[in-house]
This record gives sequence, structure tokens and C-alpha cells, in this order.
Amino acid sequence: MMRLLAGRDVRWLAIWLGGLGLAGAWNAAFLNRPALALILTGFLNTFAVAGMVLVFCLGAGWGAAVALHYSEERTRPGYLVLTFLLNLIRSVPQIVGILFGYVWIAEAMKRGTLRNPSAIFILMSAVTALFIFNEMSDLMRERIAHFKKGDFYSAMRVCGISKARIVNFHILWKNSRMHVFNKLISVFGMAVFLQCSVSFIISVGLSTEVDLITLPSTLGSVLANIDSKQDILAVGYTFTHPAYITRMFFNHLQGLTTAFVLVFSLLCIHRISTGFAERHRL
Amino acid sequence: MKPKFGEHLLSTALVAALLLGLMTLARNDAANKDAVPADIAPYVQWDFQDLNDPFEKALFADFLSAYRPGDAAGNQRTISRLESYRRDRVLSSLQGASYREPLGAAKLASLLWMYCKFLLVYALALALTHYGVQTLAVWRFVRDRRRAQPKVRETGRRIPERILALFQRLASMAAGLVLFSPAYVIAYSIRTEFDTDLPVFVVLLAVVSNGLLAMYSTKFHAFLTAESRKGYVETAVVKNLGNSYLANEKGGIAPSAIFRLRKRFDNHVFGHIFRNAEFQYLATLKEQAAYLITGLIIIEMALNIHGHLSYEMLKQLLYGNHDTVIAIVLLLFLTVKSTEVFTDALIFIRQRKYANATRINLDAIP
Repeated sequence: MMRLLAGRDVRWLAIWLGGLGLAGAWNAAFLNRPALALILTGFLNTFAVAGMVLVFCLGAGWGAAVALHYSEERTRPGYLVLTFLLNLIRSVPQIVGILFGYVWIAEAMKRGTLRNPSAIFILMSAVTALFIFNEMSDLMRERIAHFKKGDFYSAMRVCGISKARIVNFHILWKNSRMHVFNKLISVFGMAVFLQCSVSFIISVGLSTEVDLITLPSTLGSVLANIDSKQDILAVGYTFTHPAYITRMFFNHLQGLTTAFVLVFSLLCIHRISTGFAERHRL
Repeated sequence: MKPKFGEHLLSTALVAALLLGLMTLARNDAANKDAVPADIAPYVQWDFQDLNDPFEKALFADFLSAYRPGDAAGNQRTISRLESYRRDRVLSSLQGASYREPLGAAKLASLLWMYCKFLLVYALALALTHYGVQTLAVWRFVRDRRRAQPKVRETGRRIPERILALFQRLASMAAGLVLFSPAYVIAYSIRTEFDTDLPVFVVLLAVVSNGLLAMYSTKFHAFLTAESRKGYVETAVVKNLGNSYLANEKGGIAPSAIFRLRKRFDNHVFGHIFRNAEFQYLATLKEQAAYLITGLIIIEMALNIHGHLSYEMLKQLLYGNHDTVIAIVLLLFLTVKSTEVFTDALIFIRQRKYANATRINLDAIP
């Protein structure tokens, strides 16, 4: 057990799960049931969407990297079109792209063209992934370029191994899966951050157009809830009235817990990612 | 450098053309929505007329019968269409559609003013973040090296030192929580005590929140660590170049050197490690700038800072002025692109410097 915890990534994973467990136990004891249910729903939705973003990013990133690799070798126009499309996505700031996507989803829900809850979740993940997957494809292209520079690629070609098998199996799977996995950890953190920020912005700034009921709640929209906002505002009150801090953990739990879960998760995911990179010398 | 600039110019022109095309489409769409149907157009302007009043409605019907005597059904249709048009207008004004305005010269001028403010905030935040990233990474690197030296290891065994180490860990955790907080969490928690809408506050918030400083200082630290493992470092140490990282030792690294604006570590091996890592980091600057723009947009939107570009975009999205929204997206795109061009130019200049202005492999620019 101690050997396992010696790795910084595993240690931070344990700290993350422990911290979330502790926050859960404290809330189960002192927070009212409806508020606890609200936080739990927000938490589960956020992490479910972030999980699906990983699947989309992996698929789209892999596909884009391989397509760019082949089109660069075979068809110049195809390569230019693909590069243009990817640069077009890259040129829109991630938050703006995801915001437009979420507003579009909410409008489709309002018009009644989108009703299935699973389809809403899948679309939310796909929109988020669309503006993140470029990072994954960049990493994969870097790995392919790295192996192509050396003798690895040409030696395998001489041995009669097909290009597709070299790229997909030998380079990306056998020799880059640790890099890809590490990228997936940071993509997970990025997905949580962007998703919560967009939900918060929509709930605060577009509440008349897209209300909280139309889109599934996330930690961001729970934080934008008026009760949570008041709880967060109370943090500022403790700067001038330090004695109030003891009441914070009993009277302002909804906002405090939501903010803690979000911030603590982002910190831990980052530390897990850097720890993983250190352990595997990536 | 020319092919690189050409590539940037081409992609800028293509994306700008695409966005301008979308803007025209959005304008036409809005104009079609606001157009008055031809059959009721002459009567729409009659503001004095109240069709909710039965007398005025009957009077209007009589007027239409006198004007077009043979078309009773058509006249009745005109009255109902006029009634529904006026009802829709009242409803849409209640829903905020009265804020719909096409992108004219005045609106464009106001957007450009907001854009200038955005650029100022962005440039300041980028400069501060760049300094912060380097300083934090160097400080972490030097701290790790100091810990690895025997003097520090001995003192670490004493109980007070252990307490100090524990305290340091807790402080580092607290700092980590602040650095990884989304901007809106920090802003709302201090909103009762400070005015969070000030541009200075926006700049500071952009630097310390959203994990920007923490993430990119980790990247810079990784470059420093990778560079310190290279063979030339060991050769330099063997040749007696300074390699002590202690603060109070001659030839060591003083805290003032770490926090200096233009970092220089003369006669120390770290000077070379730093310069090489700094050069490699230049390519990451594009990524850092794009993330900073995302952070600034989040701050301006989430805190509803009036008169700022991103908040204006959110407002125009709400009012359905899609042409203005696309114009703002175009301005943001130009900012991202300008930063990329600036970074590539910087890389090119550095490459020329290190390659003694001889043959440069432009394809090597990431």
C-alpha cells in the first residue's frame, strides 16, 4: 500500500477521493437533503459529461491525427482542407465555442427538437470535445513525427509492416499510450473547468433565454444558484469578521461545498497529471 | 519566416472571409424577420389607431370597405393581420427584441473602443503572466535544488523543521486552491469587500485564477528540469561554472535574482539552463495566450462587467444581434492570430540570434 502511495499521482488520487468523501460525509451530517441532492446531481452530471468528453476527444483526436498524417503523404488538397478546418476550430476561443454550442442545444430543447436526456448529455459532451480535441490530435501528431524522424518507421516499413499498423499500433498504442493517458487526465480537468464556467455564465448572464431547468445542472449552474452565490459572498464577510468563519461550515454549506468540490477537483486532477508525467518520465 | 507569415495571412483571410459572410447572412436574416408584410405596411405607421377599441376597429373596417368596396374578406384579413403584427411587436419588445439593432457605424465604433480596452487588459495580463510563470518556475526549480543539497537535508530531521515543512505544505496547498479557483469563485468571495469590476482587478484575476499561472509554471518548470539533465550542464559544472543554488553563498542564487524582471544568472550554470528553457517555452506562449483570452472572457462574462467586450457579446447573444456577436468573435480571432504571429516572429528572431543569422530551418518553428 505504501509503495503504491509513493507515486505522486496515486497519492493525489487518494487525496482527491478522500477529500470528496470527507466533504460528502460532512454534508450528509449538516446540509439539508434538497441542497445535498442538488450538489450531488451537479457533481454527477459534471463528471459524467467530462467522462464522455474523454471518449469523444480520444476518438476525434486519433482520427484527426491519422487523417492529417495520411493526407499529408498522399493528397495535398485534402491536407490543406483538413488543416483549415482544424485551424478554424482552434481560432475560436474554447469558451466562446462551447457557449454557442450550449445555447444552440438549449434552443433546440426549447423548440422541442431535442428531448431525449441521453441525447442532451451526448451533445453537450460532443460540443465540449469539439473545442478540446485539437490538443489530443496535436500530441498524437507530435508522437508520429517523433518516431518518423528516427529509424523506427523506415525500419518497420522495410520489414513489410503496413503504414496503418505502424502508426496506429506501434506508435500510438505501444509507444505513446502513457502520453495519451496523461493528456486524457488534463483533458478531463479542462472539460470540468470549461463546462462549469459555461454553465455558470449561462445561468448568470443568459438566465432569461436559457434557464436553469433547460440544461442539465452542473457544478457551475449549482454555484450560480442564488443560495450558493450568497454562501460564496459570505466568504468575503469573514475577512472583516473572522469569528464568522466557524458558522461558514454550518450555515453556508451549499455554496461552500460546490466551490470546494470544483476547485479541489481541478487542483487534484492537475497534480495527478503532473505526478503521472513525473512517474513515467513523459 | 516568409512562408510562416504567408500561412498566417492566408488562414486569417479565409477565416475573416467566412466570418464576414456569416455576418452578412445574420444581417439579412434579421432584416427579413423585422420586415413589415406588404399588405399591412401602409397602416403600421398609424400609431393613433387603437384596434383594441371596438369603435376604432369598426371605423377602420368601414374605411377599408370604402377604399376597397368589393373585397370584404380581404379587408377582414388585413385587419386580423394588422392586429397580430402589433401584438407580436408588443410581445417581442417585452422579450427584449426591442434591443435588436443592426451593426452600424456607431455600434462598430463602440465595439472598437471596447476592443481597445480588452487589448490593454490582455497585454497587461499577458506580460504579468509571463513574468509570473517564469518566476514561479525558477523559484520551484531553485527550491528543489536547495532541498537536494546536504545542508538542508540535515536540518530537515529536526522536529521544528518538520513542523515548518508541514506548514509549508499546507500553505502550498492553500496557494494551489487559490490558483486553481475559477475566476468567478474568487471574485464572488471578495465581492463584498472590493470592487471587482475595475480593470486592474480584472488583470490581477486573469493572472492568478483559472489555473493559468499554476499550469504554465509547471510547463516551464518541466522545460527547466529537462534542460538541467542535458550533458552540457554536467560539462559546465566540471569546468567550474557556478552551480550552487544556496541563497547565502557566494556564487549562489540570491532571491533578488529570482524575482528580477529580466532574469539573468551570470557565471552560473543555471543562466544557460534558463535561457535554453526560455527559448523552448516560446512556442507554448501561443497556448498560454489563448488560455488567457479564455480566462478573460470568463471573467468579463461571469462577473457581468458592463462596457467590456465579452459582456457585450453575451448581451448581444441574448438580444439576438448575431451580426454583432460574429463581429466580436472576429475581433477575438484577430487577437489570437496576432499573438501567434508575434510569437512566431519572436521565435524567428531568437533562432537567428542563436544560429548566428545563418541558415535557419523555418519548418522547425512549432
